[in-house]
Amino acid sequence: MLEIDGISKRFGSTVALDGMSFTVRPGELYGFVGANGAGKTTTMRIALGVLAADAGEVRLGGRALDAASRRRIGYMPEERGLYPRMAVGTQLRYLAELRGRSAAQAREAADRWTERLGLTERRGDEVQRLSLGNQQRVQLAAALVAEPDVLVLDEPFSGLDPMAVDVMSEVLRERRDAGAPVVFSSHQLELVERLCDRVGIVRAGRLVAEGAVAELRDASAVEVLVDAPQAPAGWADGVPGVARARAADGGTVLTLADAPHTDLEATLGAVLDAARRTGPVHEFRRRRPTLAEIYRDAVAESQAEVAA
Amino acid sequence: MTGTLRPVLLIARREFASRVRGRAFVVGTVVVLVLLGVYAAVIATIASGDDTARVGVTGPAIALTGPLERAAPTEGLELTVVPQPDVATGEAAVRAGDLDALIGGEPARPRVYVESEPDAQTERVIVDATSSVARDGFLVARGVDPAALDAAVAESGPVIVAAEPPDPQAGQRLGLGLAGAFLLFFSIQTYGAMVAQGVVEEKASRVVEIVLSSVRPWQLLLGKVLGLGAVGLLQLVVLGGAGLAVAGAAGILVTAAGLVSTLVWVVVWYLLGFALYATVFAAAGSLVSRQEDTQSVLSPVTITVLLGFVVGFNLLTYDQRGTPITVLSLLPPFSPLFMPARIALGVAPAGQIVLALVLTIAFTAGVLALGGRIYANSVLRTGARVSLREALGRSRG
Repeated sequence: MLEIDGISKRFGSTVALDGMSFTVRPGELYGFVGANGAGKTTTMRIALGVLAADAGEVRLGGRALDAASRRRIGYMPEERGLYPRMAVGTQLRYLAELRGRSAAQAREAADRWTERLGLTERRGDEVQRLSLGNQQRVQLAAALVAEPDVLVLDEPFSGLDPMAVDVMSEVLRERRDAGAPVVFSSHQLELVERLCDRVGIVRAGRLVAEGAVAELRDASAVEVLVDAPQAPAGWADGVPGVARARAADGGTVLTLADAPHTDLEATLGAVLDAARRTGPVHEFRRRRPTLAEIYRDAVAESQAEVAA
Repeated sequence: MTGTLRPVLLIARREFASRVRGRAFVVGTVVVLVLLGVYAAVIATIASGDDTARVGVTGPAIALTGPLERAAPTEGLELTVVPQPDVATGEAAVRAGDLDALIGGEPARPRVYVESEPDAQTERVIVDATSSVARDGFLVARGVDPAALDAAVAESGPVIVAAEPPDPQAGQRLGLGLAGAFLLFFSIQTYGAMVAQGVVEEKASRVVEIVLSSVRPWQLLLGKVLGLGAVGLLQLVVLGGAGLAVAGAAGILVTAAGLVSTLVWVVVWYLLGFALYATVFAAAGSLVSRQEDTQSVLSPVTITVLLGFVVGFNLLTYDQRGTPITVLSLLPPFSPLFMPARIALGVAPAGQIVLALVLTIAFTAGVLALGGRIYANSVLRTGARVSLREALGRSRG
């Protein structure tokens, strides 16, 4: 279990992290989502000991991370980088040995991962001679070659071709299924939604929402999509229980006001009645917000809180 | 302990392997070796070129053969005297370059035919020979045996009692000292700059973040300095050994004038000097993120070392017992360059050697602490050049 507990970090007068906390359980794929500058990279760098936190602690299996336990974390930094003039195989073996693997283990793992990632033919080539896509694969191999117990990947999908995205997704799932806590950040929210067991949304150095995508959905306001082609603009304005209305998805999306579940049926009935009064209704259904929408709402809400 | 040390050795091994296998190292070493060889060959030619001469004699001047051959060794000339049938043949041989001079006519006042002007050494030998012919004739005419006179003169002469006899190996010692100083300067500059270059390369390619998620900054710094220091040492030994072999073969270096102890001292001071300068270079390199900016942070260091080296080199050559070189060799940043030279020259008292060692070790320890801190604070900062003030701030945990 990887625990990020109350981490704060300032760079001069800028607050990068302000009490960042979350937990990644064993066998869990955790998506870390937020705008540029929200603090994702800083959090990961602190977890890897590349930066020092001003306050807070990172724990692995209940114990504060030290140099030895950090070596058990596979890391892909946001700023990709390898020794450009070092051969792929030599480089992977070197990085594995730096993380405490024996020469034999390193050789075996380097061979296995290059084969798995389709780099067998490239083992002897200098990294700078590879295509960008292949360099990304070597970078992933570098994160995996020391057989880490935990994976921390900063934007692992950025710059990958669709094939590599599939390989990467497969590898992440596989590590998760093998019982490793896996955390990665991404701007590709559909991908996060599809892959992750849980998601943490970060804004201005704090976690503003966290949970399984389904939980986050349930927690967000109920939306209804109504397609009533003859309805005039503002037809739903007077309906009790409707907070907002907007045109989207080929109809009107109504956001219902937070209300106890007993009232939900009544509100839905009132909405349907109002729609039918305008003419035929082609579609009427509960709408599932996407992660992107949940994310926007969470960020907007926390912004409103800050403003208030 | 092994957990802490193994990464350092791995890093050192990588640095060593990637440099020694690199073309720059092999080509650079070979080029310096070739230059050394050419230099030695030129010196040997210049040194031996003037020491032989062929002189022709003809007519009555053939009587000069004996006196010429006796006079030549006192002038350090290897002289071959070749009888010629007549002046015309001899002159032709001079013009053709087969003879350096042709001597004809009366032995006491001969005519010397040369191409343009006589070689100074040859001329002195001829003058010696003609005067001895004239003197012998004069003595014999007065009934004195010239051989008896020579024997009497040979037994005379003063006996010099020197308070400090000059060192017959002074030249060799100076040569060794200067060569040592030069090699140290060359190695420290070259491999120190390589440390800086390696630091910037890791920063520029961003690989440093992966490496630093595995090891501590001090382990990376130490591994780099050890690895490149070993490469520099290897080259120093190759070049130094080749230089000595060439010098020995060319006859410049006849005896082992404190050779072994000089070599040991050069290595000891190289290790100290390299640790000192490599740390400074690494710290300087960590302040920038692009290769293009490396020179701007290194120049203050390289220029200081270069100025110190030029001043010290001249002092060693012209004023090796003076106060300025003594002071320079005691100042830590310059001790590694000049103390071994002064030791080779035999002008460094034991007390000064110990003092210089202590000062340099203390200074190096300070530089390691400070440089390590700058390095740790700056090595992950990308973008604009990091100011020294920021770099000296609170170190990361």
